Amino acid sequence: MVKVYTIQSCPWCHKVKRYLKSKDVEFEELDIEKDAAAREACKKLTGMDWAVPVTTIDGEHYVIDFDKEALDDLLCL
Amino acid sequence: MKERIHKDVVIIGAGMAGLTAALYCGRMNLDTLVLENGIIGGQIANAVAIENYPGFESVNGGDLISTVQRQAENFGATIDEFDEIERVTLKTSPKLIETQEKIYEADAVIIASGMNRRKLPLPEEKKFAGRGVHYCELCDGHAYDGKIIAVAGGGNAAVDAANFLTKYASKLYLIHRSELRADEFSQRRLRGNDKVTILLQTEIKALRGDKRLESVEVLDKKSGETKTLAVDGIFVNIGVEPNTALFKDELKLTASGRIPAGEDCRTEISGVFAAGDVREKEFRQLTTAASDGTTAALVAEKYLAKLR
Repeated sequence: MVKVYTIQSCPWCHKVKRYLKSKDVEFEELDIEKDAAAREACKKLTGMDWAVPVTTIDGEHYVIDFDKEALDDLLCL
Repeated sequence: MKERIHKDVVIIGAGMAGLTAALYCGRMNLDTLVLENGIIGGQIANAVAIENYPGFESVNGGDLISTVQRQAENFGATIDEFDEIERVTLKTSPKLIETQEKIYEADAVIIASGMNRRKLPLPEEKKFAGRGVHYCELCDGHAYDGKIIAVAGGGNAAVDAANFLTKYASKLYLIHRSELRADEFSQRRLRGNDKVTILLQTEIKALRGDKRLESVEVLDKKSGETKTLAVDGIFVNIGVEPNTALFKDELKLTASGRIPAGEDCRTEISGVFAAGDVREKEFRQLTTAASDGTTAALVAEKYLAKLR
């Protein structure tokens, strides 16, 4: 399952979610502002505090921000 | 081979000017496409509270722009925010807008591509981007809860960002190289906050830190004294640059990089209109962006009516 780490107020997070929906990609959204465990997982994944949006498919490879080409590669779109 | 699609009007940019133009074009039954390379709403998507847009005492930028987007779509305009524009050819008829996936043939083009935030002009900026240097308070401000924050800049965007960030900061510096230009109301609000220190006539000379930003070196231009301020993060609001790189081979630009066009939004090329912050004009407000979008759509419709 694709996971997207977000916060609600971030416009780029919304853009990533809209892109995944436009491509019919199912994903789980994890709000790192509300979910401390998700925040830790996101930090462990990226090595960065509070980086959003972060999209991952396997908890190992990830894309920070909205980068269409990188997302397409990551998700084989 | 890219698919070729005809449109009555292609609007480049989905900020307030572009979406207002789309709303009007849609209402006039024009086949209208809006292309956006960045985020829908542009600069306004990052505004926490807009208090100078008539009809709203205070409205979140994202909420306001979502409403305008829905209005435009309800009247038939299509918005594509994922298919990036690669090049434009405006002097031909029809005009050609080539994206990553398609070629649009448009009878009229409204350029409403807005502005981008200016980067901090220091060599260390790249090293610390996302690691203490930020350009989006709404996206990254929450990461600095209880920490020391600096805001660079002195206009409305900077002061409003600083006001917003006080909710997280244990201490906040507003650093600006000259005097504040923000409106009095926002300045008063900031000056009234005990957490805030305003450093005017102060230039940021260097960013310091190991893996992430730890301090900024600033020069007090009046005293000539240099000092180091321990900060965890800096939010940069030192102005904007017109987003006109796509058009530099097609249209003459002004010295500031904007598109010369009169109050009727007509550019030097027939059927090409410029609206919003990208148009050279004295005042660039959200209200004037909406006004430009309206004018550009109405003038474009007249142009199309003559064409047929």
